Amino acid sequence: MAIVIDNLTKSYGALRAVDDVSLHVKPGEVFAFLGPNGAGKTTTIKTITGLLTPDCGTITVCGHPMATESQAAKAKLAYVPDQPFLYGKLTAREFMGFVARMYSIDPATAARRAETYMEALAVSPFADQLAEGYSHGMKQRVVLAAALLHEPQVLVVDEPMIGLDPRTVRSVKELFGNLADEGRTVFMSTHTLDVAEAIADRIGIIHHGRIISCGTLAELRAKARQEYRLEDIFLELTSSEEPPEADTVALAG
Amino acid sequence: MIDQTVTTRTVVSPPLGLLLHLKLTLFRNRLRQLTDQTPLQLLLIILFVGTIWGGLYLIFDHVFIFMGRFQEQAVIAIPYVFHIFFAAMTLLLAFSTAILAYGALFSREEPAFLLAAPNPPRNVVGIMYLESLFFASWSLVLLGMPLMLAIGHVQGLPWHFYPIFILAFLGFVPIPGAIGLLGALCVALFAPRRPKRIAFIVGGALLAFLIIWWGRLWDASAMHLSKDWISHFLEELRYVKAALLPSSWVARIIQLSIEDQPAGALFYLGVTFSTSVFVSWWATMITARWLIPAFGRAHSAPNRSKRYSGWASRCLTQFAFFYLPADMRALILKDVRSFLRDPMQWSQLVILFGLLSLYLIYLPRSRPEGFTVEWKALICFLNYGAVTLILSTFTSRFVFPMISIEGRQIWLVGLWPLSRARVIIAKFLYALTLTAVAAMSVTVLSIRALNLPLVLAIAQGCATFASCIGLCGLAIGLGARLPNFREDDVGRIASGVGGTVNLIASVCLVALGVGLFGGICLSLVRSGNLHEITLTSLSLFIALICLSLSTAVVSMTSGLRAFRTQQF
Repeated sequence: MAIVIDNLTKSYGALRAVDDVSLHVKPGEVFAFLGPNGAGKTTTIKTITGLLTPDCGTITVCGHPMATESQAAKAKLAYVPDQPFLYGKLTAREFMGFVARMYSIDPATAARRAETYMEALAVSPFADQLAEGYSHGMKQRVVLAAALLHEPQVLVVDEPMIGLDPRTVRSVKELFGNLADEGRTVFMSTHTLDVAEAIADRIGIIHHGRIISCGTLAELRAKARQEYRLEDIFLELTSSEEPPEADTVALAG
Repeated sequence: MIDQTVTTRTVVSPPLGLLLHLKLTLFRNRLRQLTDQTPLQLLLIILFVGTIWGGLYLIFDHVFIFMGRFQEQAVIAIPYVFHIFFAAMTLLLAFSTAILAYGALFSREEPAFLLAAPNPPRNVVGIMYLESLFFASWSLVLLGMPLMLAIGHVQGLPWHFYPIFILAFLGFVPIPGAIGLLGALCVALFAPRRPKRIAFIVGGALLAFLIIWWGRLWDASAMHLSKDWISHFLEELRYVKAALLPSSWVARIIQLSIEDQPAGALFYLGVTFSTSVFVSWWATMITARWLIPAFGRAHSAPNRSKRYSGWASRCLTQFAFFYLPADMRALILKDVRSFLRDPMQWSQLVILFGLLSLYLIYLPRSRPEGFTVEWKALICFLNYGAVTLILSTFTSRFVFPMISIEGRQIWLVGLWPLSRARVIIAKFLYALTLTAVAAMSVTVLSIRALNLPLVLAIAQGCATFASCIGLCGLAIGLGARLPNFREDDVGRIASGVGGTVNLIASVCLVALGVGLFGGICLSLVRSGNLHEITLTSLSLFIALICLSLSTAVVSMTSGLRAFRTQQF
């Protein structure tokens, strides 16, 4: 398994942000993680990446438990947050160089990969300008290119399509598909349901910190017993104030 | 296919040197940008720092020459100067490192980026600690270097004094820095949602302690500045000479170097360095151990924000700006609320004017028999200078960015049925009311403390009010003329090109104003009577008022013209 989440619980004071979540994501899978605002998506993602420690439960990335082998686990994953971080006083090329050295990639390989990803994500035209002048979409593309530099086995992305133009959205979708074809895993949190519908192999829906539905689009539709679009399924599942029980989800027509 | 270069080998953590290299690259790029794009700003920064530094050197130099005249007392007093200086630096460095380390480790997005990669937490803490120490130690460089150079010059010390004091500084800085780092960790772990409040409470408690202590010292003797009082003063200061305080070790290093005892100085240098290395390692390891939980708390703690009804700010605005139309009052109400809810803004005014008020309250006690005409004029002149300097720093830091900040909300302000001229005027009236209330309160205190005659009292009051108009008009006008709509951080806007121009212009205005007011005081003193107006003093007074008003009018007009055609 690429990502194994077992009985994950994380609370902030009295608020239980993630409540006994278990998820297994296979290599070569594009997994879309959906949920309303405040449902627990980002908390789950930050726990997978080791930025938060769980109150209960375990996270394993490519066989490495995050609690005890965090360095090995982090070496195999890459994280692209919803607010892309770049050093304002570095150019995209310098930033890529820094990331390459952080993952101990030899300079020749790093340069080759950097050119490939910068070309694919249309970063090259502004690669030598300081990042402080970039738009949100430009930053997002640079961060995505840098995240792929060490060829991670697991790519965790939080809202990857925000601020991207339609052409880049298409490129990113193709990129995620290619990564999955190469046997790598993409764990993607998104509000763009069309993207999830188009590229995700499986979809997990979290609501009030609990996974209320998980499966392929066909499985979700089968549960609904109708040819719903993902948007309808999502809205139906997350319409209640209280989360419905995972095993007894009723998708009434 | 998956590239196996990373996946199959043992994980090698990136070294601390890589992060250090990153910081140096960032610094190099920043410097290159400054030299290429805004060389004037760089030149002005160097000029300003150099002026302050040189001015401090001259002051310290003269103080040591003055102290040298009283040889017996100087032998006792000079070591006290070092002990007090380094004790104060301990507090300042611990506090500033805590603030900087909290910002670097728990407020910014950078640690999340670094920690999501296979960087060991100790490296992330290490680089942020070094960065915080670097920025926090500027106060020591700015104050300590001229102090040491002055004593070296006055006492004609040998060359080895200079490398020893630099090493002493280097060894000393990490000790309070380590305390600051642990303080930042504690805030993130135990009060992650209230870091500013904690900083304010600690800073306030420290200030209150110093004020109470100073008040006790001041009241201790009826005959101030007498021999008894000096003995009592030194007795009260004995705590700063405690042998276990690191500040005492550094003071001893300096003292022993001055006395040409290098062996003793090297011994204390060794003690300082070994302690420094030990506490830094210890603080870094503890912080690294708790970094992830603390980071998680700082970023994800539930928001128990206070609910605001806003009635007090609404009543205050209605009362203070009753004469303005409702649309302008609405704009001002927004600024009043932002001011009251941002401790960074009001605390600066409260602290600076609070300290000034405290000094003015104690002023009459220092000479119960009253001041002579010359002293009254001199103190009145210095008080005016202090008030206007504080005003210029406040207007540069908070009033200048007011227009730039609106750039972010221009979709709202720009679409209002409110002309841009009215936006500028509303901002000006708000800033003027705020600064005038603070400055005039202190000025009234000063007039009462000195029991100034009517002529000088009116001159000081009018000059202060005119300076408020001049400085606010300048800041608002230049803020509209040279706005920075790309930044949403007030500090960055104030330190940009426009902010620097405004600071220089404000300082020049203050310098001219102080010069003219000095002339008024001098003219009145020379006439031998502070109760009667002289022709010179009247001319200078009119010049001062005209200078302030014309500065405000010219900059506001220029700013308005630019703001009317501003594209967002």
